[in-house]
Parts: sequence; structure tokens; C-alpha cells
Amino acid sequence: MARNDILVGVEVGTSKVCAVVAESGRDTELRILGVGMAPSRGVRKGEIVDLAIATECVHDALSEAESNSDVGIEDVSVAVTGSHIASFNSRGAVAIPSERLEIDEDDLNEVAIKAREVNIPTENTFLHSIIQHYYVDGQEGVINPVGLVGRRLEADFHIIHGVKTRLQNTLRCIEENGMQIDQVVTNALASSHAVLNDHQRELGAVVIDIGGGVSDFIVFADGVVKQSGVLAVGGDHVSNDISLGLRIPLTRAEKLKVDEGSALIGKSVPGEMISLKNDAGFSGKEIEREMLNTIMHARVLEIFTLIQKQVAAETPSHKLGAGVYLTGGCSLMKGIREVAESIFEMPVHLARDAGVSGPKSILNNPQYSTAIGVVRFVQARMAEEEEPTLLGSILGRIGGIFSRR
Amino acid sequence: MLPYPKNEIPRASLPARIIGIGNAGVQLADRLVMNSPGLAEVVAMNSDAQSLTSTVAPRKSNLGPRATRGLGAGGDPEVGFEAAQESLEEIRFAVEASSTVILLVGLGGGTGSGAAPVVAEAAKEAGAFVLALVTTPFSFEGRRRAAQAAEAEAALQRHAHAVIRFENDRMADLSSPREGISETFEAADRLLSECVASFLEMLNGDGPMPVTIGNLLSVLREGSPSALFGRGEGQGDNRAHEAVERALKSPLLDRGRMLDDAHAVIVHVGGPPTLSFSETAAIMRETSKHVPDDAHLFLSVSVTKTASSPVTVTVFGNHEGGPPSTPQTRVARPTPEPKAAPEFTPAKVAKKEVQQSPTPDQKPDPLRPSPPGRLFADDTEPTPPILSQPGVPATPPATPKKTNPAKVRQETLQFEPAARGRFEKSEPTIVEGEDLDVPTFLRARPKT
Repeated sequence: MARNDILVGVEVGTSKVCAVVAESGRDTELRILGVGMAPSRGVRKGEIVDLAIATECVHDALSEAESNSDVGIEDVSVAVTGSHIASFNSRGAVAIPSERLEIDEDDLNEVAIKAREVNIPTENTFLHSIIQHYYVDGQEGVINPVGLVGRRLEADFHIIHGVKTRLQNTLRCIEENGMQIDQVVTNALASSHAVLNDHQRELGAVVIDIGGGVSDFIVFADGVVKQSGVLAVGGDHVSNDISLGLRIPLTRAEKLKVDEGSALIGKSVPGEMISLKNDAGFSGKEIEREMLNTIMHARVLEIFTLIQKQVAAETPSHKLGAGVYLTGGCSLMKGIREVAESIFEMPVHLARDAGVSGPKSILNNPQYSTAIGVVRFVQARMAEEEEPTLLGSILGRIGGIFSRR
Repeated sequence: MLPYPKNEIPRASLPARIIGIGNAGVQLADRLVMNSPGLAEVVAMNSDAQSLTSTVAPRKSNLGPRATRGLGAGGDPEVGFEAAQESLEEIRFAVEASSTVILLVGLGGGTGSGAAPVVAEAAKEAGAFVLALVTTPFSFEGRRRAAQAAEAEAALQRHAHAVIRFENDRMADLSSPREGISETFEAADRLLSECVASFLEMLNGDGPMPVTIGNLLSVLREGSPSALFGRGEGQGDNRAHEAVERALKSPLLDRGRMLDDAHAVIVHVGGPPTLSFSETAAIMRETSKHVPDDAHLFLSVSVTKTASSPVTVTVFGNHEGGPPSTPQTRVARPTPEPKAAPEFTPAKVAKKEVQQSPTPDQKPDPLRPSPPGRLFADDTEPTPPILSQPGVPATPPATPKKTNPAKVRQETLQFEPAARGRFEKSEPTIVEGEDLDVPTFLRARPKT
């Protein structure tokens, strides 16, 4: 971990493409060198619908990030999302051969493979299998079973999978720009890496990343990933609702949502009107503020209700001590925290990235959280990969001494 | 395993015949001959001698050379009818000794509307399975044409074994608004000829699971005759998925959504000898996602001998609702039903009564629920008495879901045009049975 690595994270979102260039220092330090953002076109609900246009947008964002950070980008890690991404928990088990009592690295790999031996649709591919808990001879709460003595090793994994072809589309619009794909990570997992620290994970938390086209969520309990999911509804839907409800063009609805809208109802003065300016600057149509807020409230309420239902079905609320963390561009909406609080009945925080150094304005913008999360995920992966080999070699040496005797 | 010869039913060995009647029908037949030559014997029938000279159909028959002097029926079904009566012998000759007769008719004009029922009757008498593929006029073509079309369709229902209706109004969605008019018509014709081709493939195809005429009839008889049809082809590694996706994307299925209230659906899978069971199963799984649980789902599989042929998926069904666009307005001449006709002659009374709870006399026919357009039509009349005629099998009991179709449809109607906005073209997000692309406030309102 001595060397400083340049890590690049990209999120091809429905409303914008974000690229973050960061330098990974010692330990968990991460320094943002530069960012690039380009409005996204050719993406619907988090998935590519027009490859050529999306590729252009990715190019814009990457070249902006390159010039901002003064770094030539080659390898890129990317966040993926879409309604096709699904997840479940699975347990794998292996028996340790009797001539060898000690559990070693190979057993861990084998148990991970065993846990994957489940039916997923043939067109799907595994994205992540995240370790939850190990059990050695039925003993719970084993954090690292390597070197422990046991007959039977079991492990719970959280497995995330998605449709291969649809994932490839996102990767392609990066590869078309001549970049290499380093890692692929789901939006939800990336966001959680950006906004949660170990302590919050241990307490239990829900991270909801409400983006333009989709809302990703991930649930941590007892320090591990318990659930994750994608709901293909996001900020675009709010704008679309406003556009249909108030009969105004979509671009104007989008602007109205950002400038004037709130997800809270009953807070405005009855009869308060917002006048829309037309292109010439004269006031055009008048819209009742409460009407606007009612439309936004209904949609936001529904998003949270649907997610809350899924979370409550598997994770009891006392396991979620740290509460709910909202991130993604849509979390900038006024009143969204209050609506979430009313549904989840636990503290709701607007998450900002912690433990990263760099320009403050970027870190305080939740629009970047997924891209930063990608970088943090890669950094954590690298740390993980290096650590066990070091530990393993020491253990191996100790083991060698013992067996020689 | 040794293949053993099947017991050939003599009927099946007889050729299928496709008859295009009237200008639109002849054009369709032409397209069919050009697109899939050798599919079946194609006969062109018209009272307009000029259109017959330009057709490529191998057999032609000029209807009513005396009645119309070869100049066409001039949009009057009566003339068309007379012409057909005059050429009855010729018609009988055209339909005899065939297993299946498929009539292609553009309803609303003179020859098609007037002669088609006569041809259907003759074909049925000759012992063939008679299937009529009809197109209804565009709504902008006026009430009179719509009325003529409705009357002709009713007559066809009496004589043909099954009638499948393609609404021209929906055909317009097949091509983009900027495309030329000939492309639009071509797209519609292509779709219809695909439909005919897949029917014949289904009925004649060689395979482990052929579709029987009985299956076909049970799909066609239930529900309104408005057709749900989608066909897709796929090749390569992911051919099964490609084919089923394309089939479901057909505009006539409204991206699979029209299947939501289908109650009988035939899925036909055709493919090369390498077509595997798992591919078929995947296709069925994908299709059944869109079909309600209580719907009849018929699977038919046919295998061609050429290894290079693509996997084709044809989804065919009938949906519950009537056509959203065809106003079934009152026919100018008295309808053949003596009971209901006098009662509803004053248009205003009729309008009022339709919105009230149905009286015994005008109980909504479960086979042909009132189309939503009717509530807003100026002069409304009960559905043309098609299935109450003798000779047509008894109607199955209505499911509770559709006891009051008019009311349910009316509520959803006004939201329909723009309800999905920018997500119109994207894959719908359905959670717990709700389409989340439709604004929440619109969905919430009817409930509270």
C-alpha cells in the first residue's frame, strides 16, 4: 500500500455522467484530484438506450476530469444500475478434510464458489458476492476463519447479479472511448462506500441513492450487507409527473422542481402562486405552489414506501441504529428528508462524503457520491487483496514452524 | 426412435387458400404473393376489373361483370353483394376442395363489405375452415364507412368460423409520423401478411406440438375479435430471447401490455431442428409474464427442416376490451335483430340508457364488451347482434371482472393519452401490479 494509486470512478447516470479522479494514499486516505461532469443523454432509468450519444457524454465527462486533474486516464472503474439488477442471500458450506483441521484460504474460496451455486437466470451474470458471516462448526460470528480449527466451514453471502448484456452496454460506452474497465460495482454498493463509515455499518443503516432514473438502496446490519436493490424510479419521474400534472414542458418541469419544488405539503400559503417565466422574461403561466408540492410529495412518498416495505420485510428496525442515509442528486430536493423520516420512522440524514480530502464543493454535492463511492470501493478492494496475502504468509510461516516440530 | 407415419387426416392434405376481396384485399393478397410465394393458393376477387389486371395473384375472379360492368362497387355494399351473387358459381369454384380459406378484406367499402360474407358462406358450405382477416376503416374516414364495416363484420361473424379484426387506426402507429403514406400502408400490409403466414405455419407446421383448429377457435371466439398479434424472429446465440422480445414489442400488443387482459393466447414457436426445449420454455416464461393467470395459454411448436431458419415467435390472442377507436355507430338500415332495434331508435334515449345499469334487453354481451368510444358517440346503439344469432356456439359465462366494463374503462380513458410522458417508449416499471411510470398522483386518485 506504499505506492500512491490513481483511481478513476465513473457513473453513467440518467441525468449526468460523473467522473472522479482520486489518489489513494496510505491507509484509507483518499484525495480527489479532479472531477468531470457532463449532462447525460441516451440513458433511461440507468440503462443505455443510445450508445453513440451516451459514449459522447462519457467522453465529455472523462476529458473534463482529465484536464481538471492533470492525469491521463487509462483504467476506469464504473458503477452500474438498472431494474434488472437483483440480489439475494445465499449460504455455502464446505467440509474440511479430516487429515487437515486448519481452515485455509482455499477453503474460503471454495465456500464462496459453493454459495454461488444457485440458480440465476441464464442471461444473468454475478456482479458481487459479498461475505456476510462465517460459521465454523456452527459457531457464529467468525470474522476471519483462516487458521481456525474446524470440520465444517459455512458462509453467508449477499449475491448481486444482473443481466449480462445490459451491463455490457454501460461498459461499452466507456470502452468505446479507449478506456480499460478496472472494476464494476453496483450503484448502491458504491454509494454506501462513499457515505458510510465502519461505525455506521456496525450500527446498521440504509443508504438510498435517489438518482435521475433509478433509486438504489442497500441495507447494512451488523456491519455487513444485508439487502440491496434497485427501484427503477427516480428524479426523472418527479419531473415527468410535474410535466404531466401541470401541463408544462419537461425541461421547464425539471427547472421548476429544482428551483421551487418541495416534497412537503401543507407548508405553503394557500393560494400561493408561482408564475412561470417564458423565454422573453415575461411572466407566463401561473401555477399553484401547493399543487406542485402535492405532485412531488406523492411520488417521493411512493418511492420511500416501496423501499421501506422491502427493507422491513427482512431487516427489523432495531438493527438499523444509524438510520437512513439519503444521497444522489434527488436528495437535494427540499423536504425529502422529512418525507423519508415519516415513512421510515427513524433518523434520516442527508449523506455527505466523509473521509475524503479535496475541494469542498465537490464533497458536499451528493451528485458525486456514487462516483466517489466507486473509487472508495476500489480502494477497499485493493486493501483487502493485499492484506490477506501478508497475513496469510505470516500464518503460513507460523503453521510451518508448528508442523515441523 | 423411428419416425412413424402420422394418420393423415384427409382434410389437412388439401391446400389452404387465401382470397383477397375488394381493393384492399387484393392489395394484401399481392403483398402476400410477393413476400411469401408458394405459401398457399392466392385468389384475387374484385368487382373492379382494372385492379385485377394489375394484381400478381395467380388466380383472379371478376365479381359481377354485369352488375358493376367491371367498374367496381362504388363504395356501396349492396352493389358488392349483388356482384357476389351474380358470380356465385365462380366463388364456389374458387373455394372448393380446400382445407382452410383465409379471407382478406378491407371493410367499409363496397366490394369487400358486400361480397366477403357471400364468399365466407360459400367456403363454409364447401367444408373449409374459414378465417376472415379484416381491417376496419380509419376513424377519419367517416361514420358511414365505419357503419358499413360494422355491418359487414357482423355478417362475416355469422358465416366465417372466426373473424380477426385489425384496426387501421392502430396500424397507423406502426410507422413513425414522418414516414411516407405508402410506407405506412406497406407496414400495415406487411404485418397482416405476416399474420397470415404465421397462421398457415401454425396450422400446417410439422412439429411436436401443432396447434389445432380447436385451439385456434377457442382463442378467436372468446373476447372481442380485435386482434392482438405480434411476431418476432431471432438468430444467433440469444435467438429465443430476441424473438420473444420482438414479438412482444409489436405495436399491436402495445409492448406486451395489451396482453394484460387477454383471456386466451396462442404462442407459436417455430424454428430450426436445433430449437431446444429450454429455449421454448424461456419463451413461454417470458410471454406468460404478460398474460393474466386465468388466461388460456396454448403453446404450439413447429420445426422446419432447414437448419439456418430463424426462431420465430408468434403471439396471438384476443383481448377483452373492444376497439378504442372504432365508433360502432348505428347502421342506417334496420338491423336484422327485431327485438332490440325499435327500442333504441331514438338516439338520445339510447345514450342515457347505456350509462345506466344495463336492462335485461341490453345486457352487455360478454363476448363483445362495449368499446369505450361508445359512451361518447353521438348516436349509440347496442352492439350489433352478432353472437345472438343461431348457429354460433353458446357464450361462456362472463367473469366477474368484466361485469361492468363500461364504467371501469371510462375512468382510465382520460388519463391514457399522456399518462406515461417521457417514459412512453421505455420499458415499463411494474411493481406490485402498478405501472410506476404513470404519475403517482394519477394512480392514487381513483383509489381514495
